[in-house]
Amino acid sequence: MADNLLGKLFLRWRIPNLKPGLAVLVVCLLALNSGAASFTASLDSDAIALGEQATLSLKFDGIQPQNAPTLPAVAGLRFQYVGPSSSFSFINGQTSSSTTYNYIVAPQHDGAFVIPGMRVDVNGQQFASLPLKLTVSKANAPSADAVNSGSEVAFLKFTIPKNRVYVGEPEVGRLDLYLRDDVQNFGNFQLTGAPTDGFSAGKTAELQNQRRRAQVGNHVYTIIPLAVPLTAVRTGALTLGPFTASAVVVLPSQNRNGDWPFNFFNQGEQKQVTLATDPVSVESLPLPEQNKPANFTGAVGDFTMTVTAGPTNVTAGDPVTVRVQIAGSGALDGVTLPAQDAWRDFKTYPPTSKLETSDQFGFQGTKTFEQIISPQNSDVHELPALTFSFFNPDDGQYHTLTQPAVPLVVKAAGTSPMPTLAATKNSAPENQPPQDILPIKENLGTLAVKSSPLIAQPAFAAAQAVPVLAFLAAFIWRKRTDNLANNPRLRRRLTVEALIQNGLGDLKKHAAANRPDEFFATLFRLLQEQLGERLDCPASAITENVIDEHAALRAAPETTLNSLRELFHLCNQARYAPVRGTSELNSVVAQFEKTLGELQEVGA
Amino acid sequence: MKNQIRGSEREFAQINGKLEPTHVGCDIILILLLGLIFAGNLSAADVSADFSAANKLYAEGKFADAAAGYEKILQTGAQSPALLFNDANAEFKAGHLGRAIATYRQAELLAPRDAELRANLAFVRNQVQGATLRDRFWQKWFGTLTLNEGGVLTAVLFWLMCALLVARQIRPALVPKLKGVTRILVVLTLCSASILAVQTANHFSAATAVVIADNVTARSGPFDDAQSAFTVRDGAELSVLDRHDDWVQVADGAGKTGWVSKKQVEVLPGA
Repeated sequence: MADNLLGKLFLRWRIPNLKPGLAVLVVCLLALNSGAASFTASLDSDAIALGEQATLSLKFDGIQPQNAPTLPAVAGLRFQYVGPSSSFSFINGQTSSSTTYNYIVAPQHDGAFVIPGMRVDVNGQQFASLPLKLTVSKANAPSADAVNSGSEVAFLKFTIPKNRVYVGEPEVGRLDLYLRDDVQNFGNFQLTGAPTDGFSAGKTAELQNQRRRAQVGNHVYTIIPLAVPLTAVRTGALTLGPFTASAVVVLPSQNRNGDWPFNFFNQGEQKQVTLATDPVSVESLPLPEQNKPANFTGAVGDFTMTVTAGPTNVTAGDPVTVRVQIAGSGALDGVTLPAQDAWRDFKTYPPTSKLETSDQFGFQGTKTFEQIISPQNSDVHELPALTFSFFNPDDGQYHTLTQPAVPLVVKAAGTSPMPTLAATKNSAPENQPPQDILPIKENLGTLAVKSSPLIAQPAFAAAQAVPVLAFLAAFIWRKRTDNLANNPRLRRRLTVEALIQNGLGDLKKHAAANRPDEFFATLFRLLQEQLGERLDCPASAITENVIDEHAALRAAPETTLNSLRELFHLCNQARYAPVRGTSELNSVVAQFEKTLGELQEVGA
Repeated sequence: MKNQIRGSEREFAQINGKLEPTHVGCDIILILLLGLIFAGNLSAADVSADFSAANKLYAEGKFADAAAGYEKILQTGAQSPALLFNDANAEFKAGHLGRAIATYRQAELLAPRDAELRANLAFVRNQVQGATLRDRFWQKWFGTLTLNEGGVLTAVLFWLMCALLVARQIRPALVPKLKGVTRILVVLTLCSASILAVQTANHFSAATAVVIADNVTARSGPFDDAQSAFTVRDGAELSVLDRHDDWVQVADGAGKTGWVSKKQVEVLPGA
């Protein structure tokens, strides 16, 4: 049924583009299709080890859902949609098509899982699949016997320097990848699982230039060390791992004795290996409350402090730069300068900080703080002692580093203006976090209603068309003006057109008022202007004679010429003839308009 | 009294069909304008009172209540840099690093050159642990102007440039005199428009997600039971790569990617 529907759609959209014969063939093919629609779910493997992945395929034969089906949630399994694949076959006159939606199934722990049967609705038809079973075995590290016997092509080992750490104490775990000596190459190494709950884990990276070889049991292994930077963020019993990984190793081929040259290309066999480590238990201890210094800000590690200040001979209000260097090993990134309560006689500015690490994990190095302070009065004689406290996890004790007071000579400010702090130049707010956030603002400021940016508003975009249109109008006007300026005949034609328009109005007024003298004077002048423009000669030179003499008028119809002659004749006659009535004058206006129209069609 | 007389005159005129429509239009416009002015003042007065009440709660150390007060004002659709700044301060003091950063960033969109705002944002960012996204130098540089300021600046330059071009058409004699100015304006307009284009693209396509819950697990797929890819802390800023239903695909400053639930992050437009 669905096929028939598809067939109809196909015909509706495509047949107009097909030749008649081909269209008939397509119709026949679709008519012959008698396959039943079905929906099946399958796994490429029903038993895998933790760290490995299976592929779930949802196959639709003879039907095609609009979207990839939504999978039911299965605790402990994660599904990742890969994409669809389609196939079409034509066998013995029978056509069939199928669409398969593929998902990667990755288990999160070992055990037996059931992916429940799925129901899908395609074009109103209900389809159901059968439940699927997936058994996930533990990804155990290989036993010592297996390693010693050399049966393991590759294995993984995870170690940490200390199993008892303090919260906030950084340490670098080590993940060693062992590859047996007969492994020719390896690649596509992927950590498929790295459970580090309770720890903040940094980026896992290979320790450069530390590959080595070691004898393990009956074989020599190449050891590739990877570093896992870890910092405990939670107290209590924590577990690291099991870390799982997969890799492809290249082993010597079993079929290397073939005839030359065929064995030349048979250099090795690829093998996918799944690796796992034993879990490692770690006890994360809280920092002791006993003897905790008041100014302790959470620094954990082993540090030294160096403080310099200068200048020491200043005027009240002058800036003094205090540079504090905290060097050592530990979580340097989180080290902050404690508030110095003894600096109450100083105005302090937000400090800047710069971290320079000397190892790839950021656990060793120097953090330098620069703070600008300025003594507020001349009673200040020293920069009070500066203290910094940290917890050393090696000895389990708090330590307080104290820098002795620095003598200062502070002169009264007098009448000299307050100096501009050189430090403000470097005090870009984003680089200088203060000791605490700045207070709230008392004034609400200008309220605005949330709206989309101007650039996204159609009115704003439309407004930008105004100057463009203005420019186009000016441009066209300029072109027209220039054109007129360079074309005297055109200019005269336009002038005469305007003159005729006004003159016709005058003629009608004179006719209505029954003023024949003014009427015929105007008529004569208009005839002169129009003929002068047409014949490109001065209007004053136009008389009745030009009708017969000028070559340009010979192409005009005889009726037009006769009409012109008659109009000239009327003008001449008016000087001597008696007064005419309004109706007669109006008929002359009509004749004049008709003649003008005909005359304007005569080429100059 | 005067109004009453005028009202009676109008009724009389209406009965006699003499009231001119233009007078009716003027009156309606006047009434609408007055209504809008008074309504605006009333709304501003309410907001100001709520703002002061929230400030008082903040001063009393009731930071969560103060944040709720500021949020209440923001939900009306009104906003100002100071309102967002105070809201962010209250969120920070209430221990919500992520919400504070998200709100400071919203305020930064309105007032990018506010030194106090930038100082507080930098301070709160320093409290965030773990990998986080940092603005690139060009984003900081472009971010010194709001998108609206950039738009208006570009529009003004564009209009000036067009005005000069129109003047050159109308008065060709001015062309030699305006040559240098026109060239400078054309270059400035092109530069400004280019920066605006980058700003606009950044605003609409480079969204940022700020983590507003603690220890959020980014997963390898948009599913609750997808494998954990990495963990981010409250306040971490992540770049948004994709969205799917209630999930957002993000990348942290170290280049790791994963999916997080929309409930655990606040998605903001690019600066």
